[in-house]
Amino acid sequence: MSLARAAWRAFVITIRMRVISQWSYLTWLVFPLLFAAVGLYVLNSGGASSSHLVYGVLGGGLIGYWSVAYIDAGNGIQDERWNGTLEQIFATPTPLWVILLGKVCAGLFFGVLSFLPTAAFAYFGFHAVLPALDPWKFVISLGVLTLTFFCIALTLAPLFALWRWAFNMINGFELGVYILCGFMFPVAVLAPWAQGVAAVLAPTWAVRALYASTVAEGPHDFTMWWLVAAALSVAYLVGAYFLYGLVEREARVSGELALA
Amino acid sequence: MRRLGLEAAVFARSTFLQYVALFQWATVNGYIAYKVLLPVTQILFFVELGVYATGRQNALYFALGNALQLTANAGIFGVIATVANERQYGTLPILLASPANRLVTFLSRAFVNVIDGIATVVIGLVITVVLFGLDLHHANLALLGLCVVVISITTAGLGLMFGSIGLVMRDAIIIANVVYYLLLIVCGINFPVSRLPGVLQLVAYSLPLTRGVQAARDAAAGASLANVSGLLAGELAIGVLWALGGYVLFRALESWARRGGLQEAY
Amino acid sequence: MAAIEARQLRKTYRTTRGVFRREKVEQLALRGVDLAIEPGELFGLLGPNGAGKTTMTKIFTTLLLPTSGTAMVLGLDVVRDQWRLRRRIGFVFGGERGLYWRLSGLDNLRYFADLYRIPPEVTRKRIPELLGRLGLAGRERDRVELYSRGMKQRLHLARGLLNDPEVLFLDEPTIGLDPVGARELRVIVRELADAGKTIFLTTHYMFEADAICDRIAVIKGGEIVAEGTPNSIKKVVRDQGVVEFEVVGLPAEKLAGLRALTGVKSVAVADHELAQVVTIHCSRPADVMTQLGVVLDGMSLEKVSSREPTLEDAYVQLIGESS
Repeated sequence: MSLARAAWRAFVITIRMRVISQWSYLTWLVFPLLFAAVGLYVLNSGGASSSHLVYGVLGGGLIGYWSVAYIDAGNGIQDERWNGTLEQIFATPTPLWVILLGKVCAGLFFGVLSFLPTAAFAYFGFHAVLPALDPWKFVISLGVLTLTFFCIALTLAPLFALWRWAFNMINGFELGVYILCGFMFPVAVLAPWAQGVAAVLAPTWAVRALYASTVAEGPHDFTMWWLVAAALSVAYLVGAYFLYGLVEREARVSGELALA
Repeated sequence: MRRLGLEAAVFARSTFLQYVALFQWATVNGYIAYKVLLPVTQILFFVELGVYATGRQNALYFALGNALQLTANAGIFGVIATVANERQYGTLPILLASPANRLVTFLSRAFVNVIDGIATVVIGLVITVVLFGLDLHHANLALLGLCVVVISITTAGLGLMFGSIGLVMRDAIIIANVVYYLLLIVCGINFPVSRLPGVLQLVAYSLPLTRGVQAARDAAAGASLANVSGLLAGELAIGVLWALGGYVLFRALESWARRGGLQEAY
Repeated sequence: MAAIEARQLRKTYRTTRGVFRREKVEQLALRGVDLAIEPGELFGLLGPNGAGKTTMTKIFTTLLLPTSGTAMVLGLDVVRDQWRLRRRIGFVFGGERGLYWRLSGLDNLRYFADLYRIPPEVTRKRIPELLGRLGLAGRERDRVELYSRGMKQRLHLARGLLNDPEVLFLDEPTIGLDPVGARELRVIVRELADAGKTIFLTTHYMFEADAICDRIAVIKGGEIVAEGTPNSIKKVVRDQGVVEFEVVGLPAEKLAGLRALTGVKSVAVADHELAQVVTIHCSRPADVMTQLGVVLDGMSLEKVSSREPTLEDAYVQLIGESS
């Protein structure tokens, strides 16, 4: 119970700090809108079909959601280090992963918000709508996508704390993730080898299900897509388990928690 | 002679700081992440998006546009990093107290970033040739090269404005981030400027890149200097205006700081 | 059972140096420290920068693993029993960092109270008590970034006391504080010790250790060079005293002459405005004073005085001797 309370408090505190941080608006509001604008203009070139335009409706939101997941949530530990509070929270009786749980959930909460302004922009700016929305499948797919981002962020947090180069690489590869996970166009247009790489990324399957729930054209296999996305997410968590142990050990050996 | 020597010294120190700023991430992985991965994935993303929306025949349009836009990475962020370094190394107050020529000091910040911008565009163009078969047989290569140099200079001019803002606003980098991605929307990188609403077209033509990218596209298609001189002249004029605006702001802030307005900014 | 105990405690940091040809460097921070602190003691650890004070504090607070040897707090092993131990200890590191400066003092305390897994009904009573006791009542809803240095330090201490720890570790808690703020903090620390808490304090302010500590250890280069009560440590300089005076311009040969006097241990010269302050550590200060006129013939001396050695003098001698 006390652990749940600690995670909840971490969630509330992180929300508060995001609300007053200018940077957070950049990741969940401004960038998604900018990308949505480019995407919609391009997708709307020369008489685009409605199935093209759904990528404009949801693409900006997906980009914002992913950015928040890996920049804000994924930097959960590094964030504390830069703030100078990592030693203080590390030495409490609450394990670091519990604190991270709360922080990641708070981060993702803002990420989901990205869908609102970008969808509104698509509708009012380009009259783009979701032509055949199945609400339940959409909500479940969004839930599965949230699970994938949640697991990835929990895995990235210790990774970024241990090896700074990992953040640089993932930051540099940000648009690569948009490509491989099918945020703004289907993975099916990529070369076969790229589709193979995309298949081991959990969000790819959840995004596929998300888009499929908005159009009538099939074939659809929601159950398979949801299960694969969830299974891959759990696999990432297994990796995360070992990484947290490594962070604990490494931090206590090197004593570099205080170093930004 | 002595004055020339002093100004050369200022230029050299400022260039050194830019060099440091440029390479402060200079680990191998930092270089790969931000100078290779980021440009490559930006080009790939917009090409695939463009092809999905408009067909494979337009791949080169998107590839060339995004390769050219990459210069803004150095022009905007590089200059801001230089100013941040001047703050961190504490050279700014010294600089302001010195008799060094302000204009030389100001412009020298952009020097290395112009070179870096050119290099980044060249990497982008190579990627475009290798991955998307950009056919340069009919291109006016010299003119294309000139266009690349011009847009690198003009985006650095925009960067100098942000550098001046960055003297007083610690979070100028946030604005810089927004503007960098705004360039993707309004400068004719991924679709013609004519598709934008009137107000945004005005914005487009008051920013660097818009005219320069058009000139570069024409050069890649074989146009001559005479065909694009108007565009290039306009591009340079815009770049100079931004740099000038930045300089005026720089001097105004310096005067304000001297009167005790913004000591903590330094 | 000792509240805090270290046996042959060693810590070696391993880092790399250089960019292209990476050289492995080992830095010995603690070289076999033995220490035992009884429950309820206010124990002070003195030493210069880099001596190993913070390293030792971090080992005891489970932030750092020792390379070898054992460290026990409240009978629990700091390596294996960290989860049980963390509930029962508190720590305060000095400095500006360690708080969420964009949040209020109250939010900071509530957050840490939950991280320390303190039941809400206890937190509801304890936070107002701590705020009142530490002079923060009325300011708890202000953002920490608006607090003065002293207030931030007191908030740190409030955070360290949230779980009502049996042992409290304070790493240079008065550093950077103004004299009034520092004194107030020392009073609070002494009160906590008098209330039965075991306190482990590191400092390089000698007068601070002298004023409030029950026992002191002096650490240099990762080794304890002296341990005992402040008075017993001052006995290191028992038959010694200090002679001080001000002079304008002390030529090198006269300085050498001072150093050559019988019983003189050391002569230090410091600039003070237009004059120089000369401090002579010696045995038999009275004899040295009578010789001053001979050695410094023709020079005008001001503010000539002799005094008993302080803990600082003992410390200076201990640190100097062990190098």
